[in-house]
Amino acid sequence: MLNDLLSAHKAEFKDYTELRAQENTTKRVTLLAGNMVSNSQTAEGGVSARVCKGGTFGFSSSAEYSRESVKNVLRAATDNAVFMDRHVNKGSDPLPPTPEGNFKNCEKPEKDVSQTVLIDFAKTIDSIITKKYKNLTSRTVVADFLGMEKLLAVSGGADSHWYQPRSTVYVFMTAETNDGIPVELYEAFSHFGAFDKIFPDPYLLVPKLDELYEAIMDKREGVYSKAGLCKCVMHPDLAGILAHEAVGHTVEADIVKGGSVAAHNLGKQVASELVSMVDFAHTFDGKPCPLPVYVDDEGVVAEDAVLIENGILKGYMHSRETARDFGARPQGNARGFSFNDEPLIRMRNTAILPGKSKLNDMIESIDDGYYLCKTGNGQADTTGEFMFSVELGYEIKNGKLGKAIRETTISGVAFEMLKTVDMLSDDMKWGIAGFCGKKQPMTTANGGPAVRCDINIGGR
Amino acid sequence: MNEMTRQEIAEYVLDELKKAGAQKASCAIASGRKEEFNIEANKFTLLRTLFDDALSVKALYDGRKGVAAVNKLDKDSIDGAIGQCIALAKAGTPDEAEDIAEKIENKGFSRTIGGSDMNKLFSRTKEYLQQVQDEYPKIILEGVTSAFNAGEGIYANSNGVMFTDESEGYGFSSSFVAKDGEKSSSLSGFGAGMLNLDMPLIAVGLHRTMIEESVKSLDTRMVDGKYVGKVIVTPQCDDMIWGTIIDCFLSDRSLIEGTSRWKDRLGKKVADKKLTLRAVPLHPGIIGGERFTRDGYESFDADLISGGILESFALSLYGANKTGNKRAKNTAFGNIEIAPGDVALCDMIKSIDKGILLNRFAGAAPGPGGDVSGVAKNSFLIENGAITDALSETMVSFNIVDILQDITAISKERVEDGSSILPWCCFDGITISGK
Repeated sequence: MLNDLLSAHKAEFKDYTELRAQENTTKRVTLLAGNMVSNSQTAEGGVSARVCKGGTFGFSSSAEYSRESVKNVLRAATDNAVFMDRHVNKGSDPLPPTPEGNFKNCEKPEKDVSQTVLIDFAKTIDSIITKKYKNLTSRTVVADFLGMEKLLAVSGGADSHWYQPRSTVYVFMTAETNDGIPVELYEAFSHFGAFDKIFPDPYLLVPKLDELYEAIMDKREGVYSKAGLCKCVMHPDLAGILAHEAVGHTVEADIVKGGSVAAHNLGKQVASELVSMVDFAHTFDGKPCPLPVYVDDEGVVAEDAVLIENGILKGYMHSRETARDFGARPQGNARGFSFNDEPLIRMRNTAILPGKSKLNDMIESIDDGYYLCKTGNGQADTTGEFMFSVELGYEIKNGKLGKAIRETTISGVAFEMLKTVDMLSDDMKWGIAGFCGKKQPMTTANGGPAVRCDINIGGR
Repeated sequence: MNEMTRQEIAEYVLDELKKAGAQKASCAIASGRKEEFNIEANKFTLLRTLFDDALSVKALYDGRKGVAAVNKLDKDSIDGAIGQCIALAKAGTPDEAEDIAEKIENKGFSRTIGGSDMNKLFSRTKEYLQQVQDEYPKIILEGVTSAFNAGEGIYANSNGVMFTDESEGYGFSSSFVAKDGEKSSSLSGFGAGMLNLDMPLIAVGLHRTMIEESVKSLDTRMVDGKYVGKVIVTPQCDDMIWGTIIDCFLSDRSLIEGTSRWKDRLGKKVADKKLTLRAVPLHPGIIGGERFTRDGYESFDADLISGGILESFALSLYGANKTGNKRAKNTAFGNIEIAPGDVALCDMIKSIDKGILLNRFAGAAPGPGGDVSGVAKNSFLIENGAITDALSETMVSFNIVDILQDITAISKERVEDGSSILPWCCFDGITISGK
């Protein structure tokens, strides 16, 4: 647990200042075809300071966390801010203060879960796969843990001290098509919490492993999708990445300043009236979100950011700086991944809100199209053009699921494609595995219902 | 412990690991300093100064591996990493393929440039901002970083291997869009490593070309329908083909799992004879290239594919021991060189009736089968032997194993950006589709 060596320096803050101590710990076990190719732990921590003077920032960090190093980074960040102010003279208004407070949610266990728990879990999953599932050519099992502790002291905002653990199990299955071409499929099981609490028994994952195996067996018989514009139903897994990639990044205010198409669409219809989208701070439907954020790394008390309401673009996600520039209120979106990363505007729990349709009805409503079920990576663009991979999907013929398709890519222009959304399912699924990449990695959650829309699909 | 040199820390770590029962052990220690200017939306925003340390220790205990890493070099942290590493190894699974490099001649490498000149770096960055605003007023610099990086590292193992390395250099990256009223171009970018600041940043590599093409991309056209045709992959688009080859067919993972479609192709033809692909960390155009591998061997440049023949897999020591193949001569598979061809770029373009000049590819990470599909970004149509309109919403799909047999031309011209040396390559048989 990090000792508070920061608060004592608050009296020295002259300009807007953040002091942040942080420690990220990771544990990872990887079984590649039964071979333990990784068995590792890392601990990375230190302290950083960021100072704003005349509209530009100075930042400095040190891996050492001591009274001396706190003084040093504060001095170096101030020197950097002075250098920038002298040479750039941006002359912006000071960053406006936000409500002060002191948030603590630091239930960090004295000892992290033992590595043997991860090893035993991964070995058991590997053993289940080899015994139960035939016709696989290979498999990979990864047990992964990330713990993040942050201690923050800021001027004109809320101090905080919190700890957030995330546990993830990745399972990859590989099989071969009849003509010997390898196909692969994976599932990530991820939740915020200690590994042994989230995954108390590997056998609880067996129903999910059964589903993954059935899907890879379908995929080995898969056909190429037909390239071009098609009618599709996206599984909720894809709706989450749609929310994140297609819309989320384009409405981050730093991207808006950098030329995003969203700059000209505030208050305009950018999606069908069925579509509402929110970046939730910490609570959804009366329950904690997968990645609750109560105070960000600029000391802003977090609140929900409404992005799209009934198809109308309502707002952007902000840092203190962009909120000042846009005349908006910061809502707790500025976060840094490591102790030596400055806070950037990042999504938290970004979701398309559920509708009223049933998934089966949505599939039955399509004569010729695709049901797109699993995704891997995705990318966004300032133009609103997005892409993401489809690792598993099925043809829809006359309202019924047909053959599986081989991996492909879908793309579209967000604010055009969202206008084609004409059905949303009444359920909701969150995903939190993996990292969002934007200069730094970051944990994010995204979610949504099944979506019926028109989309451009790659293929032959 | 702070007063100990890196070499003394390395010796202490190896000694303690052996005392704790490790039969074999290795450690890597690195210290770095970064000073970095940031620009966002055409304005300077931040100056960062970072001081980083890193210690990674590996132990083999009865053939079982443990690896622990910390970013501090005080005695408590070092002792904590040693204890953790031994505990991990004891909990691991025995694997005869795990090993460390055998003793060879120890070496030290130095690639310093006399320290940083932050005033000049600031001047060059400010000059770049001004040049872009004056010459390309429609360009918005979405995010720019210009940095000086200095690092010192040491690798040592219990077989007596010890390598040291110190390097310095400048790094630069810029992402930008063109904006005209409500029209935006696709996000584009350029990055490079440099040993000096003699050249204006806008003049490095393809930087100016990329900015000019961004402005031209304000108005785009979609491909009509679908056809199979030729695509020229530019040096900017390095990951789509070359990164995929290494990941899917040459890497530890693909060969240990047995999913590589080239697992039995060593010494055999895998591509058109025009293709020679090398991993070249020692090439003078590579800035800060690897001098010793993560396994503790001295790095040498390596032919992966030569004249279309597969010469080497990209295997680590573990991957080599596991699969019975030779390890690669280096582990710097991001530093690649493609041998130049015999066709001028202008002639390559002239030879194409209908195709695409592909600058960036936004696509799915390909599966082991080698199927690739994604969106052509910052790309242009080639019609009747000339580059015409910028593209939008255009997808390309192909199988990488198939198209490597269909390389129709490689350019004489190549581009160095500090991390790779690449020509323009023309592939046939790619499915190109609009809506």
